[in-house]
Amino acid sequence: MDPSVSMYISQAIHGITYGMILFLIASGLNIIFGMMGILNLAHAAFFMLSAYFCYQVVAVTGSFWMGLILAPIFTAFFGILLERFFLRRISGVGHMGELILTLGIATVIMGLIKVFWGTESLPVAIPPILRGLVSVGGLDYPSYRLFVIGLSLMVLLFMVLLLYKTRLGKIVRAAVSDRDMVNALGINIPVVFMCVFGIGTWLAGIAGVAIAPILTVFPGLADQVGMDAFIVVVTGGFGSLAGAFIVSIIFGLLSSFGVQFISDFAPVLMVGFMAIVLAVKPHGLFGVEE
Amino acid sequence: MMNTKIKIILWVVMFVILVFLPRMFGIYYTNLFVTFAVFAVYAVSLNVLLGYTGLLSFGHAIFFGAGGYGTALALKHIEGISLLTAIGIGFFAAFLLSLILAPLVTRVSGTAFSMIHLAFGQLFYVLALKLRHVTGGEDGIGNFPIPDLSVLWMFSVPIKREPVNFYYFAVVILGLSLWLLWYFTKTPFGQIQIGIRDNAKRIDYLGYKVYQSKALIYVVSGAFAGVAGSVYSLFQNMVSPDASLGIVVSFTPIMATMIGGAGSFFGPICGTAIFQVIEEITHHFTDRVELVTGAILVLVIMFAPQGLAGFITSVKQRYFSSPAAGAKKEET
Repeated sequence: MDPSVSMYISQAIHGITYGMILFLIASGLNIIFGMMGILNLAHAAFFMLSAYFCYQVVAVTGSFWMGLILAPIFTAFFGILLERFFLRRISGVGHMGELILTLGIATVIMGLIKVFWGTESLPVAIPPILRGLVSVGGLDYPSYRLFVIGLSLMVLLFMVLLLYKTRLGKIVRAAVSDRDMVNALGINIPVVFMCVFGIGTWLAGIAGVAIAPILTVFPGLADQVGMDAFIVVVTGGFGSLAGAFIVSIIFGLLSSFGVQFISDFAPVLMVGFMAIVLAVKPHGLFGVEE
Repeated sequence: MMNTKIKIILWVVMFVILVFLPRMFGIYYTNLFVTFAVFAVYAVSLNVLLGYTGLLSFGHAIFFGAGGYGTALALKHIEGISLLTAIGIGFFAAFLLSLILAPLVTRVSGTAFSMIHLAFGQLFYVLALKLRHVTGGEDGIGNFPIPDLSVLWMFSVPIKREPVNFYYFAVVILGLSLWLLWYFTKTPFGQIQIGIRDNAKRIDYLGYKVYQSKALIYVVSGAFAGVAGSVYSLFQNMVSPDASLGIVVSFTPIMATMIGGAGSFFGPICGTAIFQVIEEITHHFTDRVELVTGAILVLVIMFAPQGLAGFITSVKQRYFSSPAAGAKKEET
């Protein structure tokens, strides 16, 4: 096959991988926002925290799979603590208070990470099964990236099933459209909120583990990837999963092809795309007017 | 009138302290005070948006940086430019930038407003890093010439490497900016912004144009942040992405405003002072200053969401005023 075509395809795979990871983070943010109206600025910090947990678990047990299972659960646990002991107490202060509180929490988490793990970047090895290349149709693909895409799709499927086929999903969807009514029907909304917050941070945790072997684990991770995820949420529309999915993929592709063609200004592309979208639709592609 | 007398005495005392501060405390604390003054003006300009209009911007550093880069570039490239013109250029750069952004950002409010600014802040940070031939990339623009300040075209005062002279110069410029901002919040138009914060729809029904008013406030806020940034770049004789455009620069005034109390004019000034004292002290013990400031931010939101100003007001209401006066306070 023509080498330039194969290069485009492999670049596209890289882009989609990154887009999928962005989507995992953004969907967690979106679920929390859609449900509770809180934009969790500590989300990126949780994402990074999970990458560090993964490093730690791999260092202790020697198995990436243990990291994949345990790290997001630890992260979700901390997310639940945040909801239960901080956010719930300040519900009277308003959205600005929530934003600033989560900002403070993010600062503290990032500070603590530097205290515990230092500032140098820590490697996480790709498990042996996923190290090689998979060749399909005469082209070689790095199998870890394909694994990340598959993993994200599985999580997406799981989320869809959870939201549309279970009782919890029904409650969550009902609470998104009318929280007070659901509360009046005798459903314990605070507990549901806690679960949703836990699931949201769990999703960020999965993304953190997935990205650890690709970019290594370092303190700038939250700024670099987390910022992109926030831009995805703003562009796709707050609370819209479909918007987050489409915009994540677009951004992933923009960033991977951007790096190839205009390497210095790749981040500008994404923000430029956001500016154009917001100039036309101030609430994002799939956002609803407040 | 006892009150006016006390006020006059207070003003005189403050004036005397400001005049003799370099003699009394030495260079280190004089420079610390200039930093404080810069960030106080910056925080007040943010508070015009945050406290008065209810718009939380996570990217106010855009304007701080625009002022800094505007002044630095002007001094570097334009021969024989005067100092005040250079500051004017910094002001104008921030003004122009906020004018361009205003139509885009005033259409949204709440969380979307904050997040758009986060993204734009990042955009300008990356641009400053990557447009190396203009901005000098990571190193920024350092050691640019600073001309002498000519007073009334009669005699000139050297500013570069003269911290005491610079102190007086900065205090005058920043004091003037503070006074202008204070005046702005007291005008009838300044009162509309409080209305927009509390009930935008009602302001709309009263016949005021909400978007246009927001845009005007936004431009004022941005332009004065530009003045602060401009003076800061002169003070450091250096402007760089991390010191003028980084995300920390956007968050610092938010923290100061929250600690001091959003919505009160002098809250952010007190907040900046407290914030700086905390930073000074923690620097002696640990390098992890952001850990301490983050924790303080969390504590403030949890236990005193109105900041120091709100705390003082509630204490005053409870112990020092008649019930009627307390009720009046709550109304305003």
